[in-house]
Amino acid sequence: MTVNGQFYFSESHEWISKEADNIFYLGISDFAQSELGDIIYITLPDVGKTYQKGEKLGEIESVKSVSEIYAPVALKIISVNSNLNDSSELINTDPYGSGYIARVEALVHPDESGLMDKNTYESFVSSSHA
Amino acid sequence: METEINKKTPLYDEHIKLGAKIVPFAGFLMPLYYKSIIEEHLNVRNNSGLFDISHMGEIIIKGKDAGAFVDYVFTADVSKIEPDEIIYSLILNEKGGIIDDVTVFKFSENEFMAVVNAANTQKDFSWLHYQQSEFQKKGYDVDVSDVSEKIGLISVQGPKSRDIIYPLVDEVIKIGRCGFFDLKYKPKPVTELKHFEFSCVLFKDINVEALISRSGYTGEFGFEIFAPAKETKILWDYLLKHGYLSNLIPVGLGARDTLRFEAALPLYGHELDETINPYDAGLEKYLSGTKDFIGKAALKNVKSKEKRLIFFKLSGKQIPRHAQRILDENLKPIGCIASGTYSPSNKFPIGSAYISDTNVNPSSLKNFFIDIRGNFEKAEVVNPPFHKKGKST
Repeated sequence: MTVNGQFYFSESHEWISKEADNIFYLGISDFAQSELGDIIYITLPDVGKTYQKGEKLGEIESVKSVSEIYAPVALKIISVNSNLNDSSELINTDPYGSGYIARVEALVHPDESGLMDKNTYESFVSSSHA
Repeated sequence: METEINKKTPLYDEHIKLGAKIVPFAGFLMPLYYKSIIEEHLNVRNNSGLFDISHMGEIIIKGKDAGAFVDYVFTADVSKIEPDEIIYSLILNEKGGIIDDVTVFKFSENEFMAVVNAANTQKDFSWLHYQQSEFQKKGYDVDVSDVSEKIGLISVQGPKSRDIIYPLVDEVIKIGRCGFFDLKYKPKPVTELKHFEFSCVLFKDINVEALISRSGYTGEFGFEIFAPAKETKILWDYLLKHGYLSNLIPVGLGARDTLRFEAALPLYGHELDETINPYDAGLEKYLSGTKDFIGKAALKNVKSKEKRLIFFKLSGKQIPRHAQRILDENLKPIGCIASGTYSPSNKFPIGSAYISDTNVNPSSLKNFFIDIRGNFEKAEVVNPPFHKKGKST
């Protein structure tokens, strides 16, 4: 699958991208998956639950480490990518497509949530992890 | 707080060129993985892998009384092995706690080499140096030196390892120098080496002479190659260039850990430390019954095991981690995780733990749980190893 909308990134390496109206896909960045290495397990967020910006919504575990996933904006979970229950490696192989984590309703528009666009995020990553 | 400056092995620049994810480990900047721990792990089980383990320490013990010295500081019968053999041993403190686990190479009656864990090189050397002074005071002739920085150590592991090593080496069947080392016996042809034997080879084209042993830390057939530090890079590049001979790929410390753990090989800091005695760790077979060694007297007072090491697998997907709690069926804490990881060969999480509750009989432990960040994950005792030797399961 392909996610076509504009991507917004958080400093904690999550992204969201518009599907329709105020519905967005949510995932973790290519940089985040490459830092984690082989992903073995993900705790998906609860469908229907509302999360504040910065609130923990899940956990990703790789062979070597565990990392938390935070809500990049205030949001409500519409559906989760249940393929990840059996194939969490999709996050490694296709972090911006079939490795998305959930579909969410943004309760505050990403433009008003202090997120970065792709170029800004890429320079953020290269400056803070050089 | 991390204030120490991490050292680099002679292959650091090669790891960067290969795109490795670098992490600090035991005071060194080491490759955790190049592409994927799982892919690298499975390639070692099915084909072969190339490891930089130059961070490990090498301590040379020589002198007229080196034999008596190694028998005193190491728990195994070290002096009795043949001068082309290796023996696994422990170093214990006076209380019987494990200072380190090592392999010891015998070069001659007067010269031995201990290969020690990177994290313990300084500690081991200080300990052995102190024991050397005590020996010298009594008039014995023994000298201990840390040569770790002069030696690069490369490991080739996996069922196809021989397909790359045999064609690339010429035998060096002569008494005398072997790269960094001095051999007082005629080495065997590499093709005749059995497990825990070593020899000397000359790598063709690049003209690098190195000590080579049939040993490793993966549970697979393999070799460890001790080359002079300044020739390690050329040897690494040479082996990678001929990688097609055995489907050889570079393998990082991540897979080194999952491989050693599937093979149930202990790791210092996890299964072993100074609060654990050899009985706890199930390593009593490495204690000599015929000679005295440091720690032996204290071990006489160890009536029964204080802790017992078990191995287990999980039915869930979450990975157990070092120091997490083991709970019995009533959720009462009975022990702690030593190692926990994901088994790429079996595709489920596995671990080891010390059961410290002496009322618990590990063999009859049926339902127990691991407290993984507040989730109680069901576990089951398993007899290791977790892999089938020579092929992936």
